[in-house]
Amino acid sequence: MRKYTLLLRNTRTTDSLPAAKSAEFLLRLAPPRAACALLRNTRTTDSLRRYGTACFSIVWGRAFAACALFVLSALAIHAQKFRTDDPLEFEPRYPSVSEAAPRKLSDIYDLFKHTLDTPGELNRKGRDPIRADGVNTLGEPMQGAWWAKRHYYRPMTINQLIAGPGTDHPPSTNGPWTVVAAKNEGITPGFLMRDANQELYFIKFDPLTNPEMATGADWVTSRLVYALGYHVPENYLVEFRPDIIAIGKDVTLSNRLGKPRKMTERDLSEMLIKVPRTKDGLYRATASRLIAGKGIGPYRYYHRRTDDPADIVPHEHRRDLRGFAVVSAWIGHDDSRAINTFDALVEEGGRKLIRHYILDLGSTLGSGTGRSNSPRSGGEYLFGWKQSAAQLFTLGLAVPRWATASFPDLPSVGRFEHAVFDPEKWVPEYPNPAFLNRLPDDEFWAAKQIVAIKDEEIRAIVRSARYTDPAAEAWIVECLIRRRDKIGRAYLGRVLPVDKFALRGGELVFEDLSEKAGYSGAGPYTIQWFQFDNTRETTSPITGAATATLPADGGAYRVARISSAKRASQSVDVTVRVEGASTPAIVGIHRRWNDGERSTQSPK
Amino acid sequence: MQTKLRLTVLTLILALQLSGQTRTEELLGRSAEYQKQLTPERNTGAEKALRKIQDDSLLQRINYGFNGLGTKLGGMVTGGGFGVGPQYLRTDLRDGTINVGASAQISTRNYRRADANFALPKLFDGKAMLDVRATYRDYRGIQYYGPGPDSLKNRTNYKLEDTALDAAFALTPLRFVKVGGAGGVLNVNVGPGKDSRFASSDATFTPAQAPGIGDQTDFLRYGAFGHVDWRDDPFAPKNGGSYLVQYMRYEDNDLKRHDFSLLEIDLQQYVGIFNRTRVFALRAHTRLTDTRQGQTVPFYLQPIVGGSDDLRGFRPFRFSDNNSLVLSGEYRWAIFSGCDGALFVDAGKVFPRRGQLNFNDLEGSAGFGLRFNARNRTFMRVDVGFSHEGVQVWFKFNDMFQHRPLGTADSQPIL
Repeated sequence: MRKYTLLLRNTRTTDSLPAAKSAEFLLRLAPPRAACALLRNTRTTDSLRRYGTACFSIVWGRAFAACALFVLSALAIHAQKFRTDDPLEFEPRYPSVSEAAPRKLSDIYDLFKHTLDTPGELNRKGRDPIRADGVNTLGEPMQGAWWAKRHYYRPMTINQLIAGPGTDHPPSTNGPWTVVAAKNEGITPGFLMRDANQELYFIKFDPLTNPEMATGADWVTSRLVYALGYHVPENYLVEFRPDIIAIGKDVTLSNRLGKPRKMTERDLSEMLIKVPRTKDGLYRATASRLIAGKGIGPYRYYHRRTDDPADIVPHEHRRDLRGFAVVSAWIGHDDSRAINTFDALVEEGGRKLIRHYILDLGSTLGSGTGRSNSPRSGGEYLFGWKQSAAQLFTLGLAVPRWATASFPDLPSVGRFEHAVFDPEKWVPEYPNPAFLNRLPDDEFWAAKQIVAIKDEEIRAIVRSARYTDPAAEAWIVECLIRRRDKIGRAYLGRVLPVDKFALRGGELVFEDLSEKAGYSGAGPYTIQWFQFDNTRETTSPITGAATATLPADGGAYRVARISSAKRASQSVDVTVRVEGASTPAIVGIHRRWNDGERSTQSPK
Repeated sequence: MQTKLRLTVLTLILALQLSGQTRTEELLGRSAEYQKQLTPERNTGAEKALRKIQDDSLLQRINYGFNGLGTKLGGMVTGGGFGVGPQYLRTDLRDGTINVGASAQISTRNYRRADANFALPKLFDGKAMLDVRATYRDYRGIQYYGPGPDSLKNRTNYKLEDTALDAAFALTPLRFVKVGGAGGVLNVNVGPGKDSRFASSDATFTPAQAPGIGDQTDFLRYGAFGHVDWRDDPFAPKNGGSYLVQYMRYEDNDLKRHDFSLLEIDLQQYVGIFNRTRVFALRAHTRLTDTRQGQTVPFYLQPIVGGSDDLRGFRPFRFSDNNSLVLSGEYRWAIFSGCDGALFVDAGKVFPRRGQLNFNDLEGSAGFGLRFNARNRTFMRVDVGFSHEGVQVWFKFNDMFQHRPLGTADSQPIL
């Protein structure tokens, strides 16, 4: 028994840790209820289920506990860390969604819920960090409903970057744009129209005080977010004359009391009075093509959808959502909350699945959609106990850093800057569970993609937004570049900045992303190879294997531990599978950092 | 025991299955497990309720009532208690180009008030506006401390009943500039105060001390105004200035004893620093009257100092005389996005002759407060003012230094 306990205790995988704890507990013949509670407290639901039967057995008595121990130990010993199909590139073909009804969220509820009682399972100080889930054994999210590999993985051309999610379906000007629904309330006016090709588009405008601000921001950041792998709607920048718009039959508007009434030409005129025109008398707007599929409302940044069999990872633990914190910081998307997301039920390959989108990026790059964003944006939450107490009791003499930012007088930009921006202190309007949960490897994952977007690519994307004021264009480019570099320096510094691993000519090669981006690299690096027992999950050094060359011997799994004298607490384990005659393949990447030693990556 | 053995075997089988499966099988297994628990997405009761309130515009409906018919809450004169009553208000007629409103209120102190208003706020594409309003007020116990800066702290009260009909027309020739004129009639009836806690003013002061205390009269009033306003946001200014000059002439049509002119100057300056998260708000406000030989300014139309909007360390209506001067300064800072803190100092005085317009003999008060904001507007403020006469705590549903609408209707000191 003791042998098993020690063995389990010495293993490092999440799966076996609870088993070790349980086993240790049972060996002490603890009261059955307490043992059950311990099992229940294991983090992953997977572990719970796996040991559920054992847990059930424990309550039957101490005698049966021995059997459970045997099962648990056997499980821990015989489970394989790397499976034959690792690493998974794509999400598996999950069962079809049988039913998903649309539902709306309340932004007010969301604000209070997150401000007063941040939901979801959170990483807390002093506890073992909960590493991101929904990733393969390389630490990459699997491509599918949430995210897809794009620019970092397969560099896109500038044209592809500018095209973003698509350029094939711009609104047709060969016929009228028929308004089919409209809103006259809200931050800025807008309407839903159908073009001559029967395609539907949301038309969204800039505020009168800030021409080109929201439309430009939406255009630029939807392309950046797309390049980073997220699903965004197909948006077009359009300029049109008012005579192209026709009001459809039975289109209603709500008055201020919510009472519907028929929309008239005058309503359209009133709407257009509130938005700026170009020098040529045209109206500039974002035409956002209706997302394919059935809209079923937003997703939340915590828990899972309760109607989607594919949504097996709590959102607060998704790497793509955790990493979106860094993306949001870069583009100043402080409005990154549930109501600016969108789920669409789509049918693909004979099954229904829910695809998850990021929406409404008009409130980025200093834009507050209806006006310039608050200088507080990104600096602190709308409300926080500590920050409020500090301000109250210091009578405002403790001036927060964000309040000292200076913003150029550029109406088409709003309040966007780079000097005071600190990616590590950046926050959205109110706490976001996925953002709060992010760990250095989540940040690294997002940062490496952001850093991969080059200066000229940023310039090209911003230029394509057609800002009238060259100073506005230049400022946005400068801010994006400098903010990107701050992100790179911050987050490529918290884990070893090595990535893009490959085996070439029997050697392990990789890139120092920090050095490549022009920041200070972490090299030179040292490599030590280990033999890895995939069943027992133990490692043992391979004598004399301390170069990049893959050792000739060392079993089916060999681990290269990469470290640097400059960053003693950081290392990366790269696992190579060498089985039979097949080509050796990299199957695992595991990053360690100061606080991450106790934690292990869960390859789920 | 048989059951236990069976369970053991089952568990072993499960373990063996788990150890041999692929990652895809594992994930699909998780999905299959999760599929058993699936239910339709549901919001919590609280979220549903909030969503319903938003979707059905319930707050707006409560505010605006049914087809404009609703309830008017608050808005009674300081000391008048909490007012409540029916209201009809339409600001959506002809696409908002016609506003019509009427209300009647009674307060917890039995103060009464009725208002009717008709306005064309967007004449000539918003370059002009016309506002016509009629008001009836029956305030049973307006506080009065006697004339002059040296009045004692002894409170008296009087009944103020008046009816007014006024019209104002304004043009906006330039973006920041508004000019206009106004005229109207005012019928006033003052009498013994009904607040039994205090002595009646007419029993304490003579007509020489408080002109008009025993008289009922009618006024014709008219005048002009000019306003330059370049504040960044009139509802929550953080930068810019507002400079108002208003001249009104009151003619006593009945008794011919209370003709006077009123010159009101209101200067406000806002200086925002640190991205306007800290704001210095400064205000100088004076009301100067002028009377011809033998004429007096009736005490109920005399400028007043003291209360929640000027000398906040003093009781409301604490000082009154023919002229007034108030200087206020506030330092406001953001505590969080919905709340600002404020430190303030006020200085002011009343004086009988215009020649005494200077900074001598000012009464002072200082204090602190909180400003609660929603949608960039202050919807409530709490101020605590200190002076040599004590401490005053104010809960107000307006912004400090808020402008009153222009014109004769609002040139009265007591609204």
